[in-house]
Amino acid sequence: MEQIREPIRTAVLFTPGEQIKPVWFDWRRRQHRIVRTTYRWQEKQGETLLLHFAVTDGETLYELIYNVQQQQWLLNSREAG
Amino acid sequence: MSLTGRTILHLDQNAFFASVEQQANPELQGKPIAVVGAGHRTVITTCSYEARARGVKTGMAIWEGKRTCPELIIVTGDNKKYTHTATQVVAMMRDYTNLVEVYSIDEAFLDITGSLALFGSAENIAYGLKARIRHRFGLTCSIGIAPNKLLAKLASEMQKPDGLTTITPEEVTGVMERTPIGELCGIGKKMERNLHLLGIRSCGQLGRYPPEILRRKFGLVGEHLHYMGLGIDDSPVIPDEQAAPVKSVGHSMTLPRDVESRQEILRYLLQLSEMVGRRARRYGVSGKTVGLYVRYADFDTSFNRQQTLHDHICLSDEIFRTAVSILDTEPLAQPVRLLGVRITNLRRRNEQLPLFHQERRKVLVTEAMDAANSRFGEFSVTFGALLAKDEAKGSFVISPAWRPEGIRCVDVQ
Repeated sequence: MEQIREPIRTAVLFTPGEQIKPVWFDWRRRQHRIVRTTYRWQEKQGETLLLHFAVTDGETLYELIYNVQQQQWLLNSREAG
Repeated sequence: MSLTGRTILHLDQNAFFASVEQQANPELQGKPIAVVGAGHRTVITTCSYEARARGVKTGMAIWEGKRTCPELIIVTGDNKKYTHTATQVVAMMRDYTNLVEVYSIDEAFLDITGSLALFGSAENIAYGLKARIRHRFGLTCSIGIAPNKLLAKLASEMQKPDGLTTITPEEVTGVMERTPIGELCGIGKKMERNLHLLGIRSCGQLGRYPPEILRRKFGLVGEHLHYMGLGIDDSPVIPDEQAAPVKSVGHSMTLPRDVESRQEILRYLLQLSEMVGRRARRYGVSGKTVGLYVRYADFDTSFNRQQTLHDHICLSDEIFRTAVSILDTEPLAQPVRLLGVRITNLRRRNEQLPLFHQERRKVLVTEAMDAANSRFGEFSVTFGALLAKDEAKGSFVISPAWRPEGIRCVDVQ
């Protein structure tokens, strides 16, 4: 995985059943439409809840992190391909 | 199916870490992959069924795995994924019974005797669990259902991956007759060899062997072996909240490289002491005995010493100073590969503030550090000596004793 750790603009659907579904994100002046969330998990760093999403735009696998406290999205890494 | 007496379910998640990685990255599905730790000197912690079919085994060095299977894909594990998934799966199990004993991060026993009337049958519960785990995480598991823990574990091993095996009370004798002793949980390679020397190869033979000879040869274990051979196991499913209190709090780490410098060794000891102290304080225990474990670079030589103090301690600097005094009793024979610090002889922590100003200040500073670390994450505020080296700090290995909550719930990186 290539570490990126850059804040990103992300479109998200909040669906019933506490599901957060990222739909697309902008990175390096390109919009990446998410075709599938392959895995989701979470961790706590102190009191901060971080939601992790492994997503694919059909070409590359990315890991997005949503910081619940700061309400910010981060592109954490992408699969070096 | 309705079983007389108890009904125990054992759930084993198939090639857990590797299966999680294959779900997270669909490119890895159907391929031989091996999951390794994030450290520099790591081994294969688990591998996919595709890799196992090509001869790759847990515990192999990466180069060994690659030699065995040149197309093996090495994936650096992400412990947060595994601990989160395991915690969620345990929560699903608790929807069926409160008697859940977490055996390791990927295995658990459930006593579902009292849940059968509600859910209809043991198989309904098993299929329900399998469907929910597959739906939520895409993962498969193997489940064994039997009248006790020994047989339930044996049953879950019978069909992998994605199996469901039931051993009814009527089937026990027949199953034991054809099961090799090495397949029973609790009979390791050494015991298997010892039993082979007595001409015992199957569980049936073990059950028929005169128990007095087993007792004479193996002591108390001999009697236990006799009952194991008969498929008898009365041990209860013990949920975490009813488990015996922990006897020690400890952390160990394999160093990024073999270390000779005393200053560097002390820095790692301070980090370990802080991890031990922090976990002890968080769960309100203190220890009277401090233990130090050192493994040398040749991997085979090590020493393990402990020192018992007059008082119980939980402050990191006190644990550290005791660990250093133990270290100073033993001249180091070689560079150090692995260090471990633990406290034992535990009791509930005394909340009383010390009388003297200096000690009181130390306790208050520690409380302030703990509060900051609870809020902002471990090692956000720490000893200046630990800031000298820009290395990730904390636990990087999921211990077999890991549990989803309580003092055994170590926050792994």
